[in-house]
Amino acid sequence: MEADTQAHVAFFLTGRRPSEHLDAVDELKLRPALFAGYRELTQLRYDFPLVLLAQPTDSLYVQSLSGLFDTALAAAARGSDAERIRKHALRLEQEIRVLIAAGAGGPLSALWEKAAGRLAKAGDKSDAGSSLADSLRRTRAAIKLDGELADCDAALPARLLQHAWSAVQKRKSLAFRKDLDRLVLKLSDILKADFERSEAGRSAKHLKASVGSGFGDAFDFDAMSRMLAKALPKDEFPESRRKRIRELLAVLGAQQFYPSAGAPAKKSAAARPYSFLFDSCADALAAFRERMPRLIELAKAIAVAELEIDGQYSEAKHDALFEQFGANGLDPQDLAPFPDYLVCVNAEKMLAEEHAQLMEILSSGLPIKVLLQIDDILEDSPDGGGGLSSGMRSRQIANMAIGLNEVYVLQSSSSNLYRFRERMLRGLSYRGPALFSVYSGANAAASDLPPYLMSAAAMESRAFPAFTYDPSAGPNWAARFYLEANSQVDLDWPVQGFAYENEEHQRVSEDLAFTLVDFVASDRRYARHLARVPREKWNGSMIPVDESLTRERKGLPDKVPSLLMVDADNVLQRVIVDERLIREARRCRDMWHSLQELGGVHNSHAEKLLAREKKAWEERMQQEAETHAATAPVAATGAAAAPEVASAAVEEEPERSPDVAYIETPRCSTCNECTTINAKMFAYDNNKQAYIADINAGTYAQLVEAAESCQVSIIHPGKPRNPNEPGLAELLKRAEAFQ
Amino acid sequence: MNMMSDMKSATSCLLEMCDEHFELEDYQSGVPRWCTGCGDNAILAAVQRLCRDEALRPEKTVFVSGIGCSSRFPHYMKTYGFHGIHGRALPVAEGVKMARPDLTVFVNTGDGDCTSIGAAHWIHAIRYNMNLTVFLHDNQIYGLTKKQASPTSPIGTKSNTTPRGSYLEALNPLTVTLGVQNVSFVAQAADWIPEVLFDIVKAAYHHKGLSFVRIIQRCPEWLPKALDPWMHDPNKVLLLNHANGLQASAGLSRVYKNQIEHDPLNIDRAREIASNTDIIPVGILYNNPKVPCYEDLRHLDKLRTPDLTRAGLNAELDKYTVWPQGAEQKVA
Repeated sequence: MEADTQAHVAFFLTGRRPSEHLDAVDELKLRPALFAGYRELTQLRYDFPLVLLAQPTDSLYVQSLSGLFDTALAAAARGSDAERIRKHALRLEQEIRVLIAAGAGGPLSALWEKAAGRLAKAGDKSDAGSSLADSLRRTRAAIKLDGELADCDAALPARLLQHAWSAVQKRKSLAFRKDLDRLVLKLSDILKADFERSEAGRSAKHLKASVGSGFGDAFDFDAMSRMLAKALPKDEFPESRRKRIRELLAVLGAQQFYPSAGAPAKKSAAARPYSFLFDSCADALAAFRERMPRLIELAKAIAVAELEIDGQYSEAKHDALFEQFGANGLDPQDLAPFPDYLVCVNAEKMLAEEHAQLMEILSSGLPIKVLLQIDDILEDSPDGGGGLSSGMRSRQIANMAIGLNEVYVLQSSSSNLYRFRERMLRGLSYRGPALFSVYSGANAAASDLPPYLMSAAAMESRAFPAFTYDPSAGPNWAARFYLEANSQVDLDWPVQGFAYENEEHQRVSEDLAFTLVDFVASDRRYARHLARVPREKWNGSMIPVDESLTRERKGLPDKVPSLLMVDADNVLQRVIVDERLIREARRCRDMWHSLQELGGVHNSHAEKLLAREKKAWEERMQQEAETHAATAPVAATGAAAAPEVASAAVEEEPERSPDVAYIETPRCSTCNECTTINAKMFAYDNNKQAYIADINAGTYAQLVEAAESCQVSIIHPGKPRNPNEPGLAELLKRAEAFQ
Repeated sequence: MNMMSDMKSATSCLLEMCDEHFELEDYQSGVPRWCTGCGDNAILAAVQRLCRDEALRPEKTVFVSGIGCSSRFPHYMKTYGFHGIHGRALPVAEGVKMARPDLTVFVNTGDGDCTSIGAAHWIHAIRYNMNLTVFLHDNQIYGLTKKQASPTSPIGTKSNTTPRGSYLEALNPLTVTLGVQNVSFVAQAADWIPEVLFDIVKAAYHHKGLSFVRIIQRCPEWLPKALDPWMHDPNKVLLLNHANGLQASAGLSRVYKNQIEHDPLNIDRAREIASNTDIIPVGILYNNPKVPCYEDLRHLDKLRTPDLTRAGLNAELDKYTVWPQGAEQKVA
């Protein structure tokens, strides 16, 4: 083995760098080669920043800045100056990005003004200046929406989720208020009607007050009262009902789950609406439990009020039922109209106690939505040695929550949140607990890359794959689990084309897999696991990381995994990796495999089944081919026996003796002819259709008469039961027509 | 947990257990004064059966009628009823529905009531398409006033007003209804086929919008033999089947062999079928649940609170300023 290779292999196995062959990477500011093009994010048009719409609709609560500009330009940039408008508008979009990256915030409208001012200042004051103003004015007119701008930073996950959550809660609140106001109005109407019908309601004084001052003297209210008092209803309005309705009104009026319609400012703390936003699982859980009795009381009041309004409340039946109401808590359907709780926690700050509370929330089916923000998934394990164990713990909470089966789980890195906006909304609308596990990528201490790139890299490298698990989407994994947001989902690692210029100034392109090692290499805490190989020492024993992962190491390795990186000047560097990281990459790949299986990609059960079926099919084909070969020369021996005539499933009519009288009851048109002749002999069934109730209750003559008068001729008199009945010969003749 | 949105909450399940159950007798009121053998009895039986099967609460159900034999219908239902004035059953019913959309409103009207004096209301009720179930009891004669020709009497019908036989072709209530804008449900039943009558009554009840059911009905008193050709020859009845309509049972199919498939959304075909008077089509001719109901179009999406009413009244009254006596001079 050559000396160079030997040094490489030694580093691979031990992580120690002999200085004459390898360089440390700490000071080189390297980043994965595939990131070479993403140095200046403000120059790129991508999903961020986002506009958190001030007036969200049912499905639209956030828009990307670039999307907003595209829509506006589609409307505004028309005609001969379309190109000019587009150019100017996109410059403004870029300027807004620059402002945001510099830390500016606020609503789009304000930033627009600021950015436009800067552009105008930078440009000259000639014609170009006025055309810029014109372009911007026209584009601005096409943007109808406004809202706070949010960049992909540490605050984004909580900001975006809270924004979506508020939109959902607002919608719920409106629906609930509308319902509540209706109940209060209708209940008050009942009490009012009761009063108007009472003696006091019909007193001269009240009557006078209801007419008003204008024509107060034109009526004799005493006389009117005397007359009305005479017509007072006899049936008393039960006192218990009056009391019940008053109590209902009190409960409905005192509810604190949603803000009431009136001005809330003056309310005391006891009557102020509850807050449902928490930053600790324990607090949320405690609040939920504390408010439960009030919630049950309100839910009960609503159910009783509905019955009261409908006039259906019956003390005999409902009193006992409502006494037990909510004894076992409420089910998700009953809880659905009430607000959901939102808890935003940061994984790094969570103690063991808080973890336990989180699991409690998730496993108890409560309507609590939890944002678990993870800023660092590469946290070094406490025992050193480059394992990713601590970060792994946070990463695995989402997987564990899926195991609970009835939790809506969304895992995503910040960079992908905009793509998951509808799924976030779905999670927030889900009736039950939801967990949003989000990696923000914002760990400035560990990397020079902006959070957007870090989080995108985590997702791309399968270190933090994006998925959702929606228990309400269907009965099985295929319907519930969604993994397709990850790029090239059927591969171990996504592969991208990468082009560079070599020493001979020739364009070289190759496909690079983006592996966990690429992601980890962006983190300076792991620099010691990497070593730069000077260009003159590059050799054939250096193979890409993904390739080395597929090799099983037996004995001394002769190939060393390496990756391409670029330095601050975008010069390509080759870096070799030690075995520790390779081990992590393998672990990451295995975890990705199990996610793939859940998502139906390379599912081992399905593949096994497929192989079995395929084998069976091949055997069958083989067999058929053999039999065909054997029978081919023989003349066809007639087609197989003609298929048996399918016996139609015809309903059998009941066997009837022609001697017994009967009625084709289902055809009876309820015309009363037969029952008028003899109501004992003929009677109506449940559906008011005639049948022979008692053949002995009348004479054969009546039977025949009924048959004759039957409008639809469905009475069959049969044979006479009494041979001594007079005039039988004639009756039998008349009956013949109805047999 | 799965498909939770479709699941009922425990509360609503418990309340359902407390719901009342009704028997046919709960809807019967008095002994009908109709002649023995009258087809109205069959309609009454079918409607009472519907009320029981659907557990319609009597205090939430209204039958509105006009004048005629059929219009005595509300008297025999132990529900709310309104035995109205001649030809005006539909406007009354529309008023009831507008004010109390929570009520189930049925209309019973006869061929004279609906197609003669009430014809204008009939046309416009179809166009308004309010959620009502309308039964046209069509016996092709004025029975209550003892035999005068009605608009649906077949040409040549001898009656007290047409002793030499009626001169005009009968009006076809089906084609007229199917020709009105916004029509949403048209069916035809015959009182002597109670099974289909019930199925149609049920489908009409479940349709949201105005369901117009013409029921061809015998009058044993004044036109005793008029429908015999159709009653005695099942082949002169055409049953309409469709997956989205009705399906004739096996028992019925043995008697009525003349059946076709007819898509109730196909209005052109419905008009064609309805035009045939030699054969009586029985079934759902047209059913379009997507036609909007007038009460929904006019529904105020606000609570009708006293404040709202007061504000509306004030706004209305403010259009005209009424000066107190003597004030005009001062202003002038």
